[in-house]
Amino acid sequence: MNRIEEKMNQLKKNGKKAFITYMTAGLPDMEGCKKLIHAQEKAGLDVLELGIPFSDPTADGPVIQEASYQSILKGTNLKKVFKLVKEVRKEGCGLPIVFMMYFNTILHYGLAEFAEECKSAGVDGLIVPDLPFEEQFQLREVLEKDEAYPIILQLVAPVSGKRLPMVLERARGFVYCVSSMGVTGQSADFHKNILNYLKEVKRYSKVPVMMGFGIRTPEDVEPMKEVIDGCIVGSHFIRLMEESGYAPDKAEEYCASFKTELNAG
Amino acid sequence: MENVEKQRKKTYYGEFGGQYVSESLMNTLEELDLAFEAAVKDKDFMKEYDYYLKEYVGRETPLYLAERLSEKYGTKIYLKREDLNHTGAHKINNVIGQLLLAKRMGKTKVIAETGAGQHGVATATGAALFHMECTVYMGEEDMERQHLNVMRMEMLGAKVVSVTSGSKTLKDATNEALRAWTKEAEDTFYVIGSAVGPYPYPKIVKEFQRVISKEAKRQFWEKESRLPEVVMACVGGGSNSIGMFAEFIEEPEVELIGVEAAGLGIETGKHASAMALGHPGTLHGMKSYLLQDEDGNVQIAHSISAGLDYPGVGPEHAYLKASKRVNYVSITDDEAMAALAELCKTEGIIPAIESAHALAYAFKRAETMTKEQAIVVCLSGRGDKDAHTIEAYFNGKEYLN
Repeated sequence: MNRIEEKMNQLKKNGKKAFITYMTAGLPDMEGCKKLIHAQEKAGLDVLELGIPFSDPTADGPVIQEASYQSILKGTNLKKVFKLVKEVRKEGCGLPIVFMMYFNTILHYGLAEFAEECKSAGVDGLIVPDLPFEEQFQLREVLEKDEAYPIILQLVAPVSGKRLPMVLERARGFVYCVSSMGVTGQSADFHKNILNYLKEVKRYSKVPVMMGFGIRTPEDVEPMKEVIDGCIVGSHFIRLMEESGYAPDKAEEYCASFKTELNAG
Repeated sequence: MENVEKQRKKTYYGEFGGQYVSESLMNTLEELDLAFEAAVKDKDFMKEYDYYLKEYVGRETPLYLAERLSEKYGTKIYLKREDLNHTGAHKINNVIGQLLLAKRMGKTKVIAETGAGQHGVATATGAALFHMECTVYMGEEDMERQHLNVMRMEMLGAKVVSVTSGSKTLKDATNEALRAWTKEAEDTFYVIGSAVGPYPYPKIVKEFQRVISKEAKRQFWEKESRLPEVVMACVGGGSNSIGMFAEFIEEPEVELIGVEAAGLGIETGKHASAMALGHPGTLHGMKSYLLQDEDGNVQIAHSISAGLDYPGVGPEHAYLKASKRVNYVSITDDEAMAALAELCKTEGIIPAIESAHALAYAFKRAETMTKEQAIVVCLSGRGDKDAHTIEAYFNGKEYLN
């Protein structure tokens, strides 16, 4: 079974909420990146999102843009990230790993080769923010050829409205709810109708509903806790890592305490 | 699912085009498409568009027979004088159309991206005319290189936002405009300046630039009672060229040529010829030919002409290349500058460096043509904006682009 789906089922059975972080692959360097992954797994992280740096990250805010740029300067590319994933798997990492990447990187690598490489490295899911449902056909066709290929995770936004049934009908893993309009890393000033929107998503979704964009602390998601099945922290986590000099114990501490508080009460 | 597939096909030109944008923009793009389709079928809307083109932009523009050039190169060379439009280039045709559409949709704010500043100036101009709040995204480097256009936009009341991410040029300004639009689409209209972007933009820009070939075809017929043998235009993102080709695409006897920028030469790697060396890729919401490196990151384009300095190209052009309807060629910085100098001295017209690329290829193409045959070249803009670059180039200095 797919690692993401397995983890989601297990959390559901135990009545727990999922905690997911996003980090840009290759920062501070490949070795440091591996240490951060292991530290977070130890802390009880449920799913890891690894950002594949791209020159034109149009769905990202300034923090992830800058991280992406820095990582490219350090020579990070898809091939090296595959190698990184293979290595952490060999070192015992059992975390579900999701690649967050732009479609051009996949297209350039070649769809079939990409799927095969994901399988052999142990990549479980894909979030492709510039590949809306209508454009997923080609990629889905390739990924459906082998159960060990990664699954596509669907993104929905507060303005998705009438698109929800279509996007969510066959969604797998979890659905990523963009909590505010626009790009990643906004302030905690969430969309005014966020609760209604999350409930609407929940109504159509057969898979767990994760909230992302602009989350820093467990308090940020407190008002939505009744509805959501977990949350994703990206920009804030990256900033935290930058400020701490990518200290694994900092990552571990943040994940552990977020996870505990998310599931408290 | 069948409906989804049908809807998706509509957004493509062959295998190019589509809507490679975030989920947050999908409903916005649909709203835009519906509004555009309704507007172009509405006689009153098109009447208003034509009114502003005539009374404000100063259309129609002449189709001028460049007699001395024709004599020298041994074939008739006609220039479609888009340089005579208000604000100095063809860009305003599209801006007027899109702003009237924005008004019709009830949007009060507009945003635009700009490279050299021509589309930014045109948008700022139209926004002043229609009393709309205007924000223009421009790369930090471009703001330094094109300071005069920054001043112009500010005089016209627009806010110019400096983009400091990535290469700090047009491609990054477009990224930033897309990001801003994703956040503000409820009351904001994004005026895209070239025949690029997610569907329906390539279609919208073509429709509002179609006036170029509509006029040129009729004007040529009035002068020569036939169709021209060759029609050509320069291609960056491809807005003046798609407008120049639009009415001739269905005329198979007319040879169509798109001229890209070869910069220092295709072989040097410092060029902007997406069709010559690019591979299919996705950027700015579309699938098209794209200059990219071995990791699939987008490469920085190079051209002496800021307006052609774009790593991609409009999806319909990619399709016209794949289907072999249009022949795409490229011209180096040096060839373009020589053609520019020649037009100044022989005809008294200072063209934009962009347009000089098309002209340079016309001189080459003329070699195998007869005195009775004719080439129509789209002179997309005037060269005033390029004065500094031209001076630096001819003084042998390191030029600004």
